[in-house]
Order: sequence, then structure tokens, then C-alpha cells
Amino acid sequence: MNKWISVATAAALMVGLAACSDPGADAPTGEAVTWADPTAKLDGVKLTVWAAQNTNTVPEKVVAAFEQATGASVDVVTIPDPYEQGIQTKVATGDKPDLAFWQPTSSMLTAINAKTNLQPLDGAPWLSKLSPELRDITGILDGTRYAALITSPAVEGVYYNKEVFAANGITEAPKNFDEMVTAARSLKAKGVTPFFEMAADRWATQWWVQVQLADAAKNGLWDKINTKQETFSSPVVLDAIKKYKSLIDEGLFNADIKTAKFEDQGAALLAGEAAMVVQVNSFFGQLQAKADTATLDQKIGFFPVGPSGPVGTFIPDQSNALVAFRTGDAKREAAARQLLSYWMGPGYQEFVTDRNTISLQPAVANPPGVPKALLDVHATLPTAVGSMQVGAVANPDLYINLADMIAGTMTPEEVAKATQDQFAQLAKAAGAPGF
Amino acid sequence: MPIAEKAPVLERITPPPTPRANTKRSVASTINRRTHPMWFLAPAFAILLVFFFLPTLFNFIYAFTDWSGFKSSINPTGLDNFTQLASDGTLFRAIRITLVYAVLVALFQNLFGFALAVLLERDNRVNRIARIFFLIPVLMSALAVGYIFQALLKPEGSLNGLIGVVLGRTFDYAWLGDTTWTIVVVALIHSWKWMGLSMLIYLAGLKTIPEDILEAARIDGASRWRTFWGIKSPLLAPAVTFNVATALLGSMNGFDIVQATTGGGPARTTEILNIFIYRTFGQGLFAQATAMSLVLFLLVALLAFPVIRTLRKREEIL
Repeated sequence: MNKWISVATAAALMVGLAACSDPGADAPTGEAVTWADPTAKLDGVKLTVWAAQNTNTVPEKVVAAFEQATGASVDVVTIPDPYEQGIQTKVATGDKPDLAFWQPTSSMLTAINAKTNLQPLDGAPWLSKLSPELRDITGILDGTRYAALITSPAVEGVYYNKEVFAANGITEAPKNFDEMVTAARSLKAKGVTPFFEMAADRWATQWWVQVQLADAAKNGLWDKINTKQETFSSPVVLDAIKKYKSLIDEGLFNADIKTAKFEDQGAALLAGEAAMVVQVNSFFGQLQAKADTATLDQKIGFFPVGPSGPVGTFIPDQSNALVAFRTGDAKREAAARQLLSYWMGPGYQEFVTDRNTISLQPAVANPPGVPKALLDVHATLPTAVGSMQVGAVANPDLYINLADMIAGTMTPEEVAKATQDQFAQLAKAAGAPGF
Repeated sequence: MPIAEKAPVLERITPPPTPRANTKRSVASTINRRTHPMWFLAPAFAILLVFFFLPTLFNFIYAFTDWSGFKSSINPTGLDNFTQLASDGTLFRAIRITLVYAVLVALFQNLFGFALAVLLERDNRVNRIARIFFLIPVLMSALAVGYIFQALLKPEGSLNGLIGVVLGRTFDYAWLGDTTWTIVVVALIHSWKWMGLSMLIYLAGLKTIPEDILEAARIDGASRWRTFWGIKSPLLAPAVTFNVATALLGSMNGFDIVQATTGGGPARTTEILNIFIYRTFGQGLFAQATAMSLVLFLLVALLAFPVIRTLRKREEIL
């Protein structure tokens, strides 16, 4: 018996030592990247694309066209929410697709260990076709491009109900944060709920703080936070959190702010039960599911907002970009790049038409049915500043802490501290200097 | 996976062999050794090694490294992860919530299980069918149970609809949205799922009470009430030990029901340790998550021994 135990123990220790390396690690190779003709034959090649529950229909048409043109077979696999967590866990255990939807910000590219896991996309054939101001807006980590932007990146700003504004004598969209608050107070005085927030689903709470930081972000706030010159407890961030809380305490938000969810937000704005919602493009996607373009053009408007002027804060999300993984299989890696160049090349017109979305390439026209509000959002991009996710080296759960503040279990100071602590922890794990 | 490896702790709660078996042991073992050589155990040990021993070992190793999703190398960092966890109040909050949750589940599950066992003790057809119905939730997927209750308890869900009909007005209390009471609601759901198992074990305990003792009590003129509290309930001590220990320690490792009902909300008031670990792991902080799961492992172990010892002490009077 004792012999068996010692044998087992020895074996366990051996395996234990051998296993003490990251199963997701593959040594990157340094060969030059080649880009095949988008429609070159790929018979017998099988590609896997990972998509989230809200993006799994996005590639349908373009993938079908690619399969027909090249003979490759492409499998779109839905990874259940929370999407990013699921992918990080899978990749950590060595499970990789050929392509995946992924938030192309530097913090999320760091989070998936882009340098090891992703194929560099420098010199991709479609880059020259993109609008120059959008080409380098995101998808780049330490000078290397890892993500292909396929749709117009999301912008944090204010969606408002035009009819509610008009009925209450507001003829012009507010131009900055203070004007927006003034408008809100006049709406409240007339018995209208000015803002609608959804603290039960939590994730949108961070937009309120981030839009207030637009000016600071322009002046390098996130670089300062990355280098510890500022923290989330610095007055600039803390004041934004306090301002958000004071506006809630003032009663400018919906009464059911603590229990309201994402779906409630869209329903309330469409029905005119609330005048304004600070949100991103996926919110408009929800509105599009509830109403047609004509209704939306008539009812819903968008204006960007920052402390000093109409500045949008852009935050590309998982639905805006694709990354190609290093799978170790050169043939499939090349095929994955080929699918991207097909998507952004010969297949792009059909893609934007099918998805009724804005084209990123001047040579490819916008489909006629794109709602006005989305065009307004897109128009803010050239002057927009990067969000926390774009500028900071790590992406802490600011939104969870803010939702806790709304629920009454945290003070603004505690929100700032908890966010900073987590930021430091993530930055340290990511190997950011100084943490 | 760190979450699944604490099962061996529960396995220790098997009753001790009876004295009769001990006297025959030496003879039996000689025969056994000839007909059943030790190496027959190898396949079982191999499985135990791969699925229980190694994960536990890795749980210890990775907790002292900087393993993360952000880079490929894994370097030892000593006690860094633990000092960081200790300096951050989140871990202690999660531990406190976990303990509250476990105590609530142990309490409710045993109360319900015991009450059901007493109610359904007699063997007639109605009771047999009822027992099966109460056992069905035990066999159900915990996630399914969680999602069903989440739907029932929504502000516009069926429960509020029913209450609304009774009260004659709309009732829209958010059962899973209260920062104080939601943990009790979730503990009740957990207990609802597992009370059938407690019932079964209490029933088994009740069935093994010797009929002659009960008869003697009857002859002595003890009332049914007195018989119940004076004889039946003390003789249930082994069943209590098993039920309390499994409920308490099992719910310390709880995850599925809480994740499906509240996901740790509202305002993280139901964020038990495993949900916190899951969230940390999902951020790519694998080493920190492993360190937390080690803390949970030690916590369960530290709690298991005194709880089981105390409960066993109660059995010694038998």
C-alpha cells in the first residue's frame, strides 16, 4: 500500500511541475504576414468564428458569401454571456477559434494577451480603403494592429426623445453637460422624468462618469492614471462620481433606478416616459428592434456631451471588431486573414447593406435605411475622445461599484477606492510598469 | 476546476463501523488480501489522483504564482496574492456573506427536511407519492431551479401575480432586489432544492429507531409528544450530524443557485465566495482566483472538523 502511495505522490509531483506553465502559451513566430487574394480557393479548410449572443447573426451573410466564393467552411459558434469572461477562460486553457468578435481597445487586447494569442494585422489590404480618421482609432496595442474594425465604433452620448423635448419647449439640443442638467431641471419642473438609468443591469452606469471625464481624457487623464500620477480617487474622477450621485439624489432620474433594466430603458425613452438616456450604440440597437427607422428618425435624437462642449466619448465594443487568433496552423491562420480581407473587401458592400449599418469606407456607400441618430453618432467620431476602456491599461469594474452606489451600499469615495484597487491589481497582472 | 474539488471533505462523514465488524476484521482481511490484491485499487486511485488530488495540489501551487490571462509566463510570487486579498475588504465581505448563506441554508434545509420526514413518516400510499415529489427538486439541475425561481420572483412574476389576486391590488415587490433580505430568499431556494435529501435521511433515521424502545415508552405511559422529544429526536443524532454537515459545508461551496437567481446582486449582497472567485477568474486574474479558492478550501476544512466533532459528541450518548 505504502509503495503505491509513494508512486502516486511522485507521479503527482512530476505532473504538477510539468503543468506549471500556461497551457494557453504558444511561442509567437516571427514570419512575415502574407495576404492571399480574398477569393482564392480554400477547399477543405474549416474556420471557426466565436460570436456573442448579440453578434452571432452579424457574420451570417458575409460568411455564406465567403464560403461560396472560396469553398471554405466557416462555423460561427455562439459563446454565451458573459462573453469576454468565457473567451478569456477558454483561451487560458488553450482553446482558440480562428476568428472572434472582440472589443478592440488596448485594455481588452491586453486582457486576451494579444501579443501571444493574436495574429498581427499590420499591412492588411483593406486599411487603405478605410476613412483616414477611423483607420488608427482603435485595435492597436503597443504599435501593432491586432483587430479589424468592421462597423462604426460605439460612442457614449445622450439619446433623447425629440417629442418630449419639443413638447416642453426645449428647441435645441444641449451643448455641454451643464446645459443638459439645466434642461433636465426644467423638464423635472414640468413633471417629466429627465433621465432614465438601469442600475439593475449595471453596465451603463459608467457612461455617466466617463462623459464627464471627456475634457480630462483629452488632456491625458488615462495616461496619468496608467502612470500613477492620478488615480480614480483624484478629484477629477471622484467629482464626476459625486456629481452623478448628486443628480440621482436630486431626483432627476427614474424612480425605479435601482431595479430598472436595459430593456426598460429603451421602452421608457421610446414611450416618452423619460426624456434622455446616456448610452452607447447597442442601446440604439435595442430601439431598432422595437421600432422602424421612420419612427426612430421622428422620435429619437442623439447629441454628444462633455463638460465643455459636444464631445463624444468613443468606446468600441465587441460587435465592432474581429481578431484573428494564432492557432499554430499556418493554413488556417492564412485563411482567417483571407476571410477578414474578403469581409472588408469584396464582401463589405453586401455586409453593410445586410446589417443596415454605416460604412467605414468612403468608396462603399451607406445603405439608404440607416437611421439619422446613428449617422449623428458616427459624425462625432473624428472629434471623439477615448473612453476608459480605450485609454486605460486595465478595465476595472467601475460600473459594478457605481451600481452599488446607486443601490446605497457604497459612497462615492468607496467607489473610487474600490475601482482604483482593482485597477492596480489588473495593471499589475498585466505587467504595467510601476504597479 | 477549483470549485469542484471539496467533495472529499464530505465523504468523511460516513458512520463508523459497528463493533461487531471489528472482531471479524483480522480473519476477513487475510482472505481479502489473497482474493483481492491491493493493486486492484490502482484504477480507482488513478482516477482519484487525476480528478481530486492533482486539482487540489494545483490549487495550492497556482495560488502562490502570478498566473494570469495577460501574459504567458507563470512566476512564483510568494504570499503576494494573499497579502493583497487581506488588504482588500472584498474577500472578507465575501467570506461573511458565504458564512451567513451557509448557516441559513443549514437551518432551513434541516427544518424543512425534518418537518417533512415527521409528516411523511408513516408508510401509506399518499406519503409515498408525496416523498417522491419532494425528492424531485434534488434531482433537478440547480441552474434550472435557479432560473425557474428567478422567473417566479420577478416583480412582474407569477408569485407577485398570485399575491396581487389575493390582495386585490397590484403587488410588485422585487424579491431578488432587496439588499437585506435577498440572501434569505436565495437560501430558501437552495433549501427548497435540497430539503428532499434531508427528508430522506431523517426518514431513514426515524425508520431505524428500534420498535421495542418505542413500545417500552408506550407501556410506561409516555405521551406521543414525550416519545417524540425524549426518544425519537435524540436517536436521530447521526442523521442530524450528516444533514447539518452536508448542508453547511455543501452550501459554503454553493454557486449555481446563486448565480442563476441573482448573480451575486443586488449590490453584491449575495456575492458568495465562489461567485467572487468566478468573477475574478473571468477578469483573467487566474492566480488571485486560485488563491481565493484555496482560502475557501481552508475555510471549509477548518469549519468541517469542529462542526463534525461537536455533532459527533452528541451521538456518544447513544
